Amino acid sequence: MEVATGPMTLRRIQEMLGASCITADPPLDLEALVGCASDLMSNVLAFGRPHAILLTGLTSPQTVRTAEVADCVAVCFAYGRQPPAETIELAEGSGIPLFVTPLTLYAASGRLYELGLPGCPEIE
Amino acid sequence: MNRKETVNELQLLVYELDVESAMTKEVVTVSPDLAMDKLPKILKSNRITGVPVTEDGRLVGIISLEDYVRWAADDGKPSCVGDVMTRKVHTIYSDEPLVSAVSRLERFACGRLPVLDRTTDTLAGIVTKGDVIESMLGNLEIDYREEGLRTYRTSRFFEDIVSDSTELSFAYEIRGESISEGGEVASSLKKTLRRLGMHPDVVRRAAITVYEAEMNVIIYAKAGRVRVSIDQHHISMVVEDEGPGIPDLEQAMAPGFSTAPESVRELGFGAGMGLPNIKQCAESFEIESVVGEGTTLRVSFHMEEACA
Amino acid sequence: MCLSDIARELDLTVIYDGGDIDREITGGYATDLMSDAIAHAKAGDLWVTLQVHVNVVAVASMKDLGAVVLTQDRQPLPETLQKARDEGIPLLGSNLRAFDLIGRLYQLGIRGT
Repeated sequence: MEVATGPMTLRRIQEMLGASCITADPPLDLEALVGCASDLMSNVLAFGRPHAILLTGLTSPQTVRTAEVADCVAVCFAYGRQPPAETIELAEGSGIPLFVTPLTLYAASGRLYELGLPGCPEIE
Repeated sequence: MNRKETVNELQLLVYELDVESAMTKEVVTVSPDLAMDKLPKILKSNRITGVPVTEDGRLVGIISLEDYVRWAADDGKPSCVGDVMTRKVHTIYSDEPLVSAVSRLERFACGRLPVLDRTTDTLAGIVTKGDVIESMLGNLEIDYREEGLRTYRTSRFFEDIVSDSTELSFAYEIRGESISEGGEVASSLKKTLRRLGMHPDVVRRAAITVYEAEMNVIIYAKAGRVRVSIDQHHISMVVEDEGPGIPDLEQAMAPGFSTAPESVRELGFGAGMGLPNIKQCAESFEIESVVGEGTTLRVSFHMEEACA
Repeated sequence: MCLSDIARELDLTVIYDGGDIDREITGGYATDLMSDAIAHAKAGDLWVTLQVHVNVVAVASMKDLGAVVLTQDRQPLPETLQKARDEGIPLLGSNLRAFDLIGRLYQLGIRGT
């Protein structure tokens, strides 16, 4: 089945992943242009594209730093994993919305891809 | 945003914004021929307390509720606006900075200033204290979200300095083994470069580079520092550490090679991508290392060919 | 779905076939963190990761995973490949990034838990 691919609002992502938002006043109308699934922040820094939603299992403050530096639109943590307070604090400060989905990283990525969120271009 | 930053930002905004961006453009005006007894209805229906008087688009005076009250108390004999209005009006040009409007409103203790277009000398709008506040708050909001107006535009900055060569430099200290602080330098540098008005692509690559370099220092060294210098065309960075040094640089540059402990890998770093990442981001890349002494990394970025 | 079909459908490189390329894959799992794989991956899962060090095979073997797919054309370290041969763990490779590879696996019906 072919689905139209394109940007997806944070609202729809949140809904489709059954995710909760753990930062204040999430800008749900913002759009993620691409999906990025990684637990290696170096990889996100190296190959991430601006305005990606970062799906990860890593909840340390470095995830927020990485999202900030790599211009990610939001971060969604998998496995229902609540990040430590310092991660949330940092995210509030740098304006990166954080979501938590009960799905695994695999299922969350698979679902968004199936719904039409494109990935990052293949590496050359 | 803390209080001090907010105040600085407000100060900046009053200089950076012009009157035009704050003024109300849809201005109610009256003709000098209007009968005085018609004035209250116009003021009331527009919820204003004063109105500019124009003739063929040119400002000839201003009439306020106060003038009306004085006229009515003074027996209110049939007159037109032109006879009662204040002819000497304080005005401001639309291209003047907002700070001029603030000081004029204050100095002449008036509630509103008619705004004139400098080229045609006709009435372009009106600005009140409320407009100024609203405009600044509105812009602060944008600023807060995008840091948009907080850019000094580097090119302008460098043009303003008269010298044979100009260089802006600043430095950051990195504490070794402070894993939880990893990324702080990258974050600070990113904000700084953005405020300097640099191209987002350059900002991003410089921030990524410094993030990786910072993590390397944190993972392997006792301490280090990042020195950044910016001239009109380049950003150069030197990252030095007092660490163990790298015995085999070629091996260290190979993607996937890493000597990081599992604890670091679990933090999403140490997967052997750091140096290759840096090399990929920077336009020039040099690394020197002496085992037992430390490592020095030099990278640079061009500002113009941002999307190369 | 069997591993060889998946490999064919998604153009995966077979780095080492694990001695049985037709083995059944029952689910998918993705992480770059060993502790997550240890905690959450299920026997028979296809594990999508960017990590190329030897611990990947050690964990895959310990958890009886179906196979490991390395993303972004990453090559296993020599000791990783050796360990895969010792443990009979299939090692495959893809030029895709994790999000895209997972997406395509998901569309083939390889679901996560």
